[in-house]
Amino acid sequence: MKSVVVLATSIAFYTALLIPFTRHLQEKPFLEKVGYVPQPFIIKAMVGDQKNSVAAGLMFRVLVYFGTLVEKNKINSVSLPDDSAMRATLVTASRLDPYNMDTYYFAQSLIWDGKKVRETTELLEYGMRFRDWDFYLPFFAGFNSAFFLKDYAAAATHYATAARLSGSDLFSRLASRYMHEADQTQVAIDYLAAMIKSSRNEAIKKSFEVRHAALLETRRIELARDRFRVMFGHLPASIDELYKQGLLTGPVTDPYGGKFYLEPDGAVRSTSKFAAKPEKTD
Amino acid sequence: MLLVAFLFLFIPSASSFSMRQVTQLAITLSLSLTSFLLLLLAVFLGGTSLWKDMERRYSHSVLGGTPISRTSYILGKYFGVSMFVMLTALLLGILSSVSIWYTATAYPPDSQLLWLNILFAVFFDALKYVLLVAVAFLLSTVSTSFFLPIFGTITIFLASSATQEVYNYLQTDQGSQVSAGIKSTALFFYYILPNFSAFDLKANAIYSLPLDPGVLLLTFCYGVVYITILLTSASLLFARRELL
Repeated sequence: MKSVVVLATSIAFYTALLIPFTRHLQEKPFLEKVGYVPQPFIIKAMVGDQKNSVAAGLMFRVLVYFGTLVEKNKINSVSLPDDSAMRATLVTASRLDPYNMDTYYFAQSLIWDGKKVRETTELLEYGMRFRDWDFYLPFFAGFNSAFFLKDYAAAATHYATAARLSGSDLFSRLASRYMHEADQTQVAIDYLAAMIKSSRNEAIKKSFEVRHAALLETRRIELARDRFRVMFGHLPASIDELYKQGLLTGPVTDPYGGKFYLEPDGAVRSTSKFAAKPEKTD
Repeated sequence: MLLVAFLFLFIPSASSFSMRQVTQLAITLSLSLTSFLLLLLAVFLGGTSLWKDMERRYSHSVLGGTPISRTSYILGKYFGVSMFVMLTALLLGILSSVSIWYTATAYPPDSQLLWLNILFAVFFDALKYVLLVAVAFLLSTVSTSFFLPIFGTITIFLASSATQEVYNYLQTDQGSQVSAGIKSTALFFYYILPNFSAFDLKANAIYSLPLDPGVLLLTFCYGVVYITILLTSASLLFARRELL
């Protein structure tokens, strides 16, 4: 009889606690940080034969964190919250399962702030030692080398590898373009178009599409600027001059909310620096 | 068993979180779940089977009242548990295949699925756990409680899964700075403990990497010889054990 009373009382207490307890958990900020991940060597020693699933778990953790940032419109800002931990987690995941494509793909999607490009490229080169059939890794590494690092020789080598593995002449063309240091905006547009086409994750796809739209607008201004230079023998002072000469029609819109302008050397820039403004929090 | 089947049902939807390799993630999760369940079986069945018989004096009754030798008794028990592990592996392999097939149909992979690799991965996983059962039996023959068979088996499993990593680390520049004493100890355990990393063919199954038949045969022979050594030792120790 005593046991029944204790059980009934416990269930009553449990029911009373359940509502505030679950409410607290529901209101708790979701995954504020990626957190610390031990060295790959330690994890390998601890997880036995579960290395592949642990690597997949780490990737999932980073992906959920990134998805939360996208929802809060905090991606593409100047500094990505917990960026270092996120990249360290990706490196750890690659050491646990060097064949896991998600790791490299996601690491590559984080380079748009122009930071840690060298580290990301090294990660891709590490992956190439294992995924020696996959053209995506040299494709990514080639893009990083040319677009960000301005290392055209390395870019050509990576694109040549991508061309050999894929059998596609697109990469051969990209390699030759970079070898001549030409047309970087157009190459970035081509690259993003390929990435959007192959992307399954909505958060990543969205970030690519926004940047793709921004670069298309940039390219439109660049083409008008080049025509102006041919016509007048000098660079236009501003974008307004391009409109006045009828070389540019329709408004140019920066999807990041900035305003396009021309640098003294003719380079097309935006006041947004192609970085989304973080959402205001109270 | 229904619970296990229920877990396999979740694999296709969990795999859809992958950005670039949905089917590969389904294989990863299926093989990992299979391996984890076999580990639980090997540890708890292997670690308690013999000990429980001795604790409840069944061994005493069987060995005292029948002409069965102690060696036959221990081998019979071992093959019974091993058969159960193998049959469970077969069932889990079937569940894994259904889960992988369903995922591959919904999200066709970029590269061809090699079902033979998946089959070999499950088989060698099962062989590894059959070897672990032999470890548990050996520990059971010298133990008076379930602590040593259970926790000793778990410890040996973790150490045996890590020895190859430690060995690889010792071959690197960083590893060469390790003191000679630690290096000798690590090498001692590397050669004395079963090397479970050899039985891990998950990467070959997940990413359709080619399998070397010669290496597979070598690993199979390694497993069989190691099991024979463990069972012979267990039999010798059990023959000298006082059954009260």
